[in-house]
Amino acid sequence: MSNMNDNGRVVVTGLGLVCALGEDSDKCWSAAVNGVTGIREVKSVNTDGCYANVGAEVLTASKDLSDEDYDRSSLLCIKAAGEALVDSGYKVTEESSDRIGVIVGNCVGGAASIDKYFTDELKNGGGNKADILKMPAAAIANNVAKHFGLNGTTANIVNACAAGTISLSYAADLIRAGKADAFVAGGSDSFSSLAFAGFHALHALDENSCSPFNRSSGITLGEGAGVLIIESYEHAKARGAKIYCEVLGSGVSSDAHHITAPDPEGKGQMLAISRAITNSGLTPNDIDYINAHGTGTAKNDEAEFLSLHTIFDGNDHLSVSSTKSMTGHCLGAAGSIEAVLTVKAVCENAVPPTIGYTEENLGALKEKAGAIDFVPNVKHEKTINYAASNSFAFGGNNASIIFAKEPREIPDRTNKDRIFITGIGGLISKGRVEISSDDYKAHGIKMAFYRKLDRFSQLQLLSGMQALADANITVSEENEKDIGIVVGTADGPMTEIVGFQKNVIENGTASGSAFSFPNTVYNAAGGYFSIFAGIKGYNVTNANSIQAGLQSLCYAADVIRNGDEKIMVASGTDENTDTTEYLYGKLGLLNGSLGEGSVSLILENENSANERGAKKYAELVGWATAHKSVEFGTVKGSESALKAAIENACKSAGIALKDIEAVCGFANGVPTVDDIEKNTYAELFGDIPVVRVKDELGEARAAASAEQAACAAKMLGEGKYGYVLAAAFGVGGQYSAVVLKKVD
Amino acid sequence: MSNTEICEKIKGMLVENLRIPADELEFDSELFGDDIGLDSIDSIEIIAGIDSLFGVQMTGAARENFKSIETLAKYVEEHQGE
Repeated sequence: MSNMNDNGRVVVTGLGLVCALGEDSDKCWSAAVNGVTGIREVKSVNTDGCYANVGAEVLTASKDLSDEDYDRSSLLCIKAAGEALVDSGYKVTEESSDRIGVIVGNCVGGAASIDKYFTDELKNGGGNKADILKMPAAAIANNVAKHFGLNGTTANIVNACAAGTISLSYAADLIRAGKADAFVAGGSDSFSSLAFAGFHALHALDENSCSPFNRSSGITLGEGAGVLIIESYEHAKARGAKIYCEVLGSGVSSDAHHITAPDPEGKGQMLAISRAITNSGLTPNDIDYINAHGTGTAKNDEAEFLSLHTIFDGNDHLSVSSTKSMTGHCLGAAGSIEAVLTVKAVCENAVPPTIGYTEENLGALKEKAGAIDFVPNVKHEKTINYAASNSFAFGGNNASIIFAKEPREIPDRTNKDRIFITGIGGLISKGRVEISSDDYKAHGIKMAFYRKLDRFSQLQLLSGMQALADANITVSEENEKDIGIVVGTADGPMTEIVGFQKNVIENGTASGSAFSFPNTVYNAAGGYFSIFAGIKGYNVTNANSIQAGLQSLCYAADVIRNGDEKIMVASGTDENTDTTEYLYGKLGLLNGSLGEGSVSLILENENSANERGAKKYAELVGWATAHKSVEFGTVKGSESALKAAIENACKSAGIALKDIEAVCGFANGVPTVDDIEKNTYAELFGDIPVVRVKDELGEARAAASAEQAACAAKMLGEGKYGYVLAAAFGVGGQYSAVVLKKVD
Repeated sequence: MSNTEICEKIKGMLVENLRIPADELEFDSELFGDDIGLDSIDSIEIIAGIDSLFGVQMTGAARENFKSIETLAKYVEEHQGE
């Protein structure tokens, strides 16, 4: 491969894994490849009255995972990340720390801490305030970054069971785009009464160990974290790193079908798998092994079985297995745990089995397997050049990623078109937004649909539909796959989560609400929106504190630039309810200044916008994120990252700082926050007009940070200024900045 | 408990647990039809709600019992105290 262009090469240089199979990647691999199960009787959740009581828990107590005082999800991730970083030999120095970031997939956030806090509150005379900061998923990447002194881009990909694969996909994309040298990328989730009660309520748990592609009578929950050091080849080579394998292309898609069930025809799954294969420059016949999503529910297994048989018809050497039969379903960690095992499979030339087949089952398998080798019970040793890992989730989110033994040049799909903001929609207010049935009627949303939605999802659906309408976009079979969604949030559906959890605490694990549970996942809002709008492209939710709404624009622009979609809906959404006010009140933060809402912007490449004759508010010319990790819940000491985000956004726009004529700022009345902003602007811009959107709209968190961009776009659309900057902060030192330009 | 009282209780449960707007829900509204549009997940919630309100088990009950608040109330009346 002498003429290989190394620019686009991304490699795996470190592995870390903790799950029920063991506490490091070698132990887990050894168990998995030898068909040893990690599924046992559940210890950490009271399963009284439940029809199932098995799970795949990590036996180590939280205090022995790390000496940090964080939620178990963070501690599991730190444990795995520690192993991966040591394994990679990556030396993080102060000067280079901004070139290595952290992207973590997660589903239940700080569920263990939410359980603990409200158990203390309801039964033990009062909760511990410190547990409140452990609740949001947004804390995890920040905690990992701070623990290891990493200051590159962070994200918490909260797309339920697909999160751990999307996080790897995003990490590889950002490295290829030159935004980082490396990422600590993966996923993490702790065992929780939230998930156990939820899947129990849905009757989706298997009474016994799950049995994917076999009995398919339900899932077995697990916990753990899988972390990969994903690195640019150039960087890995320069430091003489050991290279496990190549990260090729990936694919992300939406079913737009149902909030919990997969499309029985598997169309969305097939789109993600096909995208991964095409983006890798491969054909289906090249794939040697697929680590399947293989949850063990009848609906998943049937749809995935159909997808695999449809795409890989004609491939006579494909092995497919589900390691969930041993690790359990680790939700947001699943994709990453399976990625670690897939990388091991590629390196060791062995396919781990799906366990649990009896003699009778083997006979039935033979009849339906066709040409696919489902690796029942015993590993298969064979050369694996190309392996894929699939993950599918609640909300209809699908992701697939491909690893390769040898280097391979992959198609450069970069789209260098200019990107415009062609639509804006939103509801945002200090205090609470008023929503009436007329708001739904305006978009033809029927009661049977919207009654299912929690507050967070309601806000997202309405703002997304408004933005599409404003951009005059009708989603049809022609464009449904060319449109994607990025939702950013600080706190996600915390009201629904807390309500669900309190009921479980008071009435027992067996009393979980089947109605409420689907809404407790952070990506339900983006899922409902995709279902109603019919959007089938990229779909991601990023929980990364207040700035997540503005980071959505950065993420969406990266997806367009990467050639994945033509149009992206970039949203920032956060609710304000009695629960929100209660939690912030207990922390003594933002008293009386909370707001809520959802603001969505349509980002569109020039070709698409011109073809449609779209109106253009502004051009998105520069975007950047930066992070100086400080304790979650604080900002002090993170100023350098605000400066870096602004400087890098201007640099990517090809303009000087002095070209910026106004800023839509993030001041929210909290002195430490306002000072950082004021001092940084004074240093970078001298005297410059700053629009304080939160004075009027309150601290509506991610909705407010998206509104800052909307405000900048509208000002430019009205002919004011040539270049306007929007910058936003997160509690933990995350910053995003975008530069918008007047349409010329 | 009169039939009307049972209906009221069931309605309250549906409004509370399934977020159905009270003013759009009559005792004879077709729950799984076009007007209200309930689905299989909602039926799990109805079974749990009826159990907790009246101690009546509806797991495995025939589909027609879930047609409306009225049919649910009838089932409760017939099976209460079993």
